[in-house]
Amino acid sequence: MHATGTTGVVMAPSVFEGTASTVAMIVLLLEFLMLRSALLRAQIRLYAAQSAVVSILAAVIAHGRSLPELYVLAVLSFALKAVLVPWVISRMMRDSATEIAGSGALGVASEVIVSIGVATFGFFAVGALHIHSTVLPSAALSLAVAVVLVSFVLMIVRRDVISQSIGFFSLENGVSLASLVVAAGMPLILEVAFLFDLLVAVVVFGILMRTHHRHVSSLSTADLTSLRG
Amino acid sequence: MTGLPLPAIQAGQVLTVGLGAPLVSGAIATVEARLQGRRGPRVLQPFYDLHKMFGKESLAPTGSGVLFLAAPVIAIACYLSVPLLIPVLTTYPLPLATMGDILGGGFLLSFASFLVAVAATETGDPYAQLGASRAKTFGAITEPVLLMVFFTVAAITATDLPYALGETVRSGPAQVVRPAHLLATGALLMVILYETARIPIETHTGTNELGMIETARPFEHSGPYLALLHWGSMIKQLVLFTILLNIFAAPWGMASGTHPLAVAGAAGALIGKSLVLGVLIAGLDNAFAKLRLFKITEFAAAAFLLAIFAVCTLFLGGG
Repeated sequence: MHATGTTGVVMAPSVFEGTASTVAMIVLLLEFLMLRSALLRAQIRLYAAQSAVVSILAAVIAHGRSLPELYVLAVLSFALKAVLVPWVISRMMRDSATEIAGSGALGVASEVIVSIGVATFGFFAVGALHIHSTVLPSAALSLAVAVVLVSFVLMIVRRDVISQSIGFFSLENGVSLASLVVAAGMPLILEVAFLFDLLVAVVVFGILMRTHHRHVSSLSTADLTSLRG
Repeated sequence: MTGLPLPAIQAGQVLTVGLGAPLVSGAIATVEARLQGRRGPRVLQPFYDLHKMFGKESLAPTGSGVLFLAAPVIAIACYLSVPLLIPVLTTYPLPLATMGDILGGGFLLSFASFLVAVAATETGDPYAQLGASRAKTFGAITEPVLLMVFFTVAAITATDLPYALGETVRSGPAQVVRPAHLLATGALLMVILYETARIPIETHTGTNELGMIETARPFEHSGPYLALLHWGSMIKQLVLFTILLNIFAAPWGMASGTHPLAVAGAAGALIGKSLVLGVLIAGLDNAFAKLRLFKITEFAAAAFLLAIFAVCTLFLGGG
C-alpha cells in the first residue's frame, strides 16, 4: 500500500494532489457516463465535457507546478476537443438524420460492471509498476489507463459508428491525461503534434461514417455481418 | 454559566432528530409542491398528521400475531437509538457513543426495516407483502455500496467510528478534496436517495401500488401504529441526512463544548443543513424521470462505481 502511516491510515495527499486526482477521476466518471448514455447527442456532449475537464487539468497543473506553456496546451486542447470536434461530429449527425438510441450489446448495468472490472485491472496493473511523477500523483496515471480501457469497452459494446468514434476520441483524452502525468514538461510542440493527430483521426472517422451511412443508410454497425457474401 | 451534563446533551440529540424529522419532511414536501407549481401543504403538516393519527383507533387484520403491533414500536425505538451513536450535536463522543460503530448503526436501521417487513408479511395483504419483498431484495443490491463506503472510512481513519471521520474531515482542506472522500460521499448520497424513496423508481408519497416499495409496507397498519411507522420513516430520513452531513459532507457548525447555547446552536445548524440538503434532493427528485422497476440495477451500479473507485484510489495512493 502506498503512503501508509504507522497506524494503517492512508495519508491524505496534499491539496494540489487531491484536486488533480479528483479532476482526473471526473474524466473517468465522464467516460462511464458516456458508456451509460443511450442518446448519441448526449454522448457527444459528454465527450465535449470530458475534453474540457482534461483542459482544466492542464491549466491546474500549469498553475500548481508553474509550467506556463501548459496554459497554451490547455487553451489549444479546449478549442480543438471541446468545441471544434464535437461541433464537426454533431454536424455530420445532422446530415445523416438518423438517431440511434441504446445500441449497446449488453444491458447498462452489466456494461458498467464489466467496465468496473476492466478499469480496476488497469488501476492495479499500473499501480504495480510504481511509476512516480514529479508533476502529478501516480493515481492520475492509473486513472488515465482506466479511461483508455473503458473507452475500449465502449467501442466494443456499442454497435453504431458515432459511439465507436466517440470512444476512440475519448481514448485520446485518456492518452493525453497520461501524457500530462508522465511528461508534463515535454516540449510543447510534441504535445501539440499529438493534438493534431486527433484531427487526422476525426477526418478519417468522418469519411468512414459518411461512407458507411451511404452504403447501408444507417449509422448502426449491426447489419454489417449480413452483408457478407 | 456551566455546561450541560453529557447525558442531557445525548438526550438532546435524540430529541433533535425525533422532533426535527417531521419538520424537515414537511419542508421538503412544501418545496417539492412549489417546484411542481402547486401550493403544497404547510411546513408543519406532518405534525398535524401525526397528531390526528395518534387520536384514531387501530385495527389489526384477523390472524396477525403480536409482532404486527410490536413492530412499529420496536422500529421507532431502533431509529431513535441511532442518534445516540452518531455525531448529531457535538464534535466529541458522548458517553454512549462508543456502544456501537458505523456497522452498529447500520444493524439498528436494518433491524428496524426487517421488523416492518415481517409485520407486513404477517398481514396477508398482497401489496404489503410485495412492498416488503421488494424492500428486502433491493436492499441487498445497495448493500455492497454501503460496505465499500465503510471500507473507505476504515482506510481513511483506521477506525469505524463516525466521530473519527468527522474529526478527520474537519482537520483541513486536504482531507476534503481527496478523491476517496468525495467519491464515498457521492455514493452515500445515492444510497440515501434510494433509501428515502426519492430516486430512482418510487415517489415517497406515492399511492400507485405498482411503484411502491417503502410506502407499501404499512398498508394494514392504522391509528397510532401507522403514526409510529410514518414518524419512524421521517426519523430514518433525518438520521441518514445527519450521517451524510455531520460525518461526510459538512461536519461543521457542531458544538465543541457543553455550553447550552452552543448545543442549541448546533441543533439549529443541523436542521438548517438538513433543510438545504432536502431542498437539493427535492430538486434532484424533480429533475429526473422515474425509472422502471427493473432499471434499479443501473442506479445501484452507478453508486457501486463511485464507491469502488473510492477504495481503488485509496489503495493506489493519491486517494
